[in-house]
Amino acid sequence: MTAPLLKVENLRIELTTRDGVAPVIDDLSFELGAGESISFVGESGCGKSMTALGIMGLLPEKIGRIAAGSILFEGEELSTASEKRMREIRGNDISMIFQEPMTSLNPVYTVGEQIAEVLRAHQNLSKSAAWSKATELLDAVRIPNAQRRVNDYPFQMSGGQRQRVMIAIALACEPKILIADEPTTALDVTVQAQIFDLLNDLKRQTGTAIIMITHDMGAVAEMAQRMIVMYAGRNAEQGPVENIIEHPRHPYSRGLISCVPHIMATLTEERHPLTEVAGIVPSLREFGKDQCLFASRCTMVSQKCLDKRPPEVAFADGQKSACWHAEAV
Amino acid sequence: MKDQMQDEVLLDVQDLTVRFNVGGGGLFGEAKYLYAVDNISFQIKRGETLAIVGESGSGKTTAALAVARLVEAYKGRVDLAGTDFLTLNDEELRQARAKMQFIFQDPYSSLNPRVRAEKIVREPLDNLDAVPESERQAIVDKLFEAVGLHPEQQRLFPHQFSGGQRQRIGIARALATQPDLIICDEPVSALDVAVQAQILNLLRKLQADFGLTFLFISHDLGVVQHMCDSIAVMYMGKVVEYADRLSLFNNPLHPYTVALLSAVPSVDKERRAATKRILIPGDPPDPLALPKGCRFANRCPVAQDRCKTEQPELNEVAPGHKVACHLVDERAVSPL
Ligand SMILES: Nc1ncnc2c1ncn2[C@@H]1O[C@H](COP(=O)(O)OP(=O)(O)OP(=O)(O)O)[C@@H](O)[C@H]1O
Ligand SMILES: Nc1ncnc2c1ncn2[C@@H]1O[C@H](COP(=O)(O)OP(=O)(O)O)[C@@H](O)[C@H]1O
Ligand code: SF4
Ligand code: SF4
Ligand SMILES: [Mg+2]
Ligand SMILES: [Mg+2]
Repeated sequence: MTAPLLKVENLRIELTTRDGVAPVIDDLSFELGAGESISFVGESGCGKSMTALGIMGLLPEKIGRIAAGSILFEGEELSTASEKRMREIRGNDISMIFQEPMTSLNPVYTVGEQIAEVLRAHQNLSKSAAWSKATELLDAVRIPNAQRRVNDYPFQMSGGQRQRVMIAIALACEPKILIADEPTTALDVTVQAQIFDLLNDLKRQTGTAIIMITHDMGAVAEMAQRMIVMYAGRNAEQGPVENIIEHPRHPYSRGLISCVPHIMATLTEERHPLTEVAGIVPSLREFGKDQCLFASRCTMVSQKCLDKRPPEVAFADGQKSACWHAEAV
Repeated sequence: MKDQMQDEVLLDVQDLTVRFNVGGGGLFGEAKYLYAVDNISFQIKRGETLAIVGESGSGKTTAALAVARLVEAYKGRVDLAGTDFLTLNDEELRQARAKMQFIFQDPYSSLNPRVRAEKIVREPLDNLDAVPESERQAIVDKLFEAVGLHPEQQRLFPHQFSGGQRQRIGIARALATQPDLIICDEPVSALDVAVQAQILNLLRKLQADFGLTFLFISHDLGVVQHMCDSIAVMYMGKVVEYADRLSLFNNPLHPYTVALLSAVPSVDKERRAATKRILIPGDPPDPLALPKGCRFANRCPVAQDRCKTEQPELNEVAPGHKVACHLVDERAVSPL
């Protein structure tokens, strides 16, 4: 077996807030192979973005730090790498696209200038070579009339087009890993379909591995081979997407799947109330406690769940669930 | 009697048009208008839910705001239980508003941060003469219970509630005046999926308990499918397809609707296998320079010459199923 492209082991990220220090990521382990896609799912506040920022070396300054564990990228330890080295990694190997494309683009430069700048910084291209590559990239992310649109400012583009520009920038350095943090949450579903199609195509053509963060199980089913369900900074369950959707082994994953009204192949008259997951995600203050943090919302809770953090139980195909009663789910 | 009740049309909207002045006029040359809602009609029966879907900017919110007279309609009729809403004077409108309430998308910004929850919920009653002051607190107590909030939470301010709880306050407030119609504009879009389920269940329970009628706007077709009895699909200010729930989801006819439904990602393996994804490239046209023909023509995979010059009418092609497309006729078969 070849070594995975990215191997995260027992990662602990701490945030220092007014209420003290809390493990926003608590003992997280996962692997990503070259060319693979993996999805992080969970409600907001569960630590999905923090995981991404931790890998990128972009944790909020002075507040966040990697307290334990390791992030190995092609065998190189990133958790202790210098800021200079991380900048190289970000420019050449791992790129990220964010939820709100407008805030990540600079309003006073044309999109062409912004893509070309990234190319020049990381690939030592001449000005004119960078410019024509920028046009090519815009074309690759399917902006119609790339020749002309390369001169547009961000405000002249629609939300979907801006997100495609962000993807073009992220791809400018031909990264080995693309992290997409809720890349389509702000977009219409027809635009989302185009972006997903584009990402899948790029993955096929360039072999870029994709980490996609989302709260939409349907999107996961469509985009990823494996998923990690996060709850309160911890891995609740991980494994192959189809297996988890068909037989979740954690009450939280089961809840996330069944609380959403899905469109099925054929709709019938019948409609049932949605399965509710009562309550909400605990606040950061609760993170790190030695118990199951889902206990307050779980219908299967027992005393054991309140007394001790559940260990991971392994099932077939690498499906793993951190639940005391995983066998019974 | 019950059947009669069920068939009563509560809201009847005819030829509603809303335009915004976006420059010019007076000394500044010819006025420029953006037609955000262009001649749309729909009906909702008492106790039912009509959903409006469509992409961002298609005119959903504007249509709803015009129905409630929160923006001015340029043309059309809005008839609520026999009252012509658009011709009421200010005082009549103030009283009639009690019959039509709004729930907004953003439970964060739609509640006044300096007002306690109980007052937020009571306010619509205070604005009316209908209920004596002495009875209002009892109503507020009942409303808190109906939306699943604790009595002691009445004294709290909005920031002391979670997003889902804030949306419950918004719902309680909307219910206060015993409205006939509640307009919900993306009521769960800002909420996490688990909390969404709580609110959607609550809305359906309240609808069953109180016979409420909903105009329900959402871009989430899974949610729409779960909530609605019928659906209007909007594209660039026009209704392009209008049908009951099962017809629309199981036999979509307009090319835009077909593409829209095909774009929804699904956890259902069977659906993924059965659905061919239809991508519609490009962008919708500039709302200030709408094409003469079909507004979907520049993105439609089956557009013909005629589509570029002739605007399709919204025709009934099967009982209760209306479509605005040159290529859909009484055979009710989608060209896609
Ligand atoms: N006050 C206004 N002045 C000028 N134009 C407006 C105004 N309000 C809305 N519009 C325009 O009217 C059109 C319809 O907007 P509307 O907000 O109704 O869309 P929507 O379907 O609710 O979209 P979304 O899904 O993004 O909420 C858009 O082109 C919008 O830019
Ligand atoms: N800059 C910050 N300062 C303090 N707390 C933060 C900061 N960023 C995120 N958090 C907290 O960390 C937790 C996880 O956040 P995040 O990773 O953004 O969640 P997700 O992406 O899953 O929604 C939340 O409780 C959030 O409030
Ligand atoms: S460990 Fe207990 S409380 Fe936690 S998910 Fe499993 S059954 Fe529920
Ligand atoms: S009228 Fe023509 S362009 Fe419009 S939806 Fe029908 S086929 Fe497509
Ligand atoms: Mg996030
Ligand atoms: Mg709107």
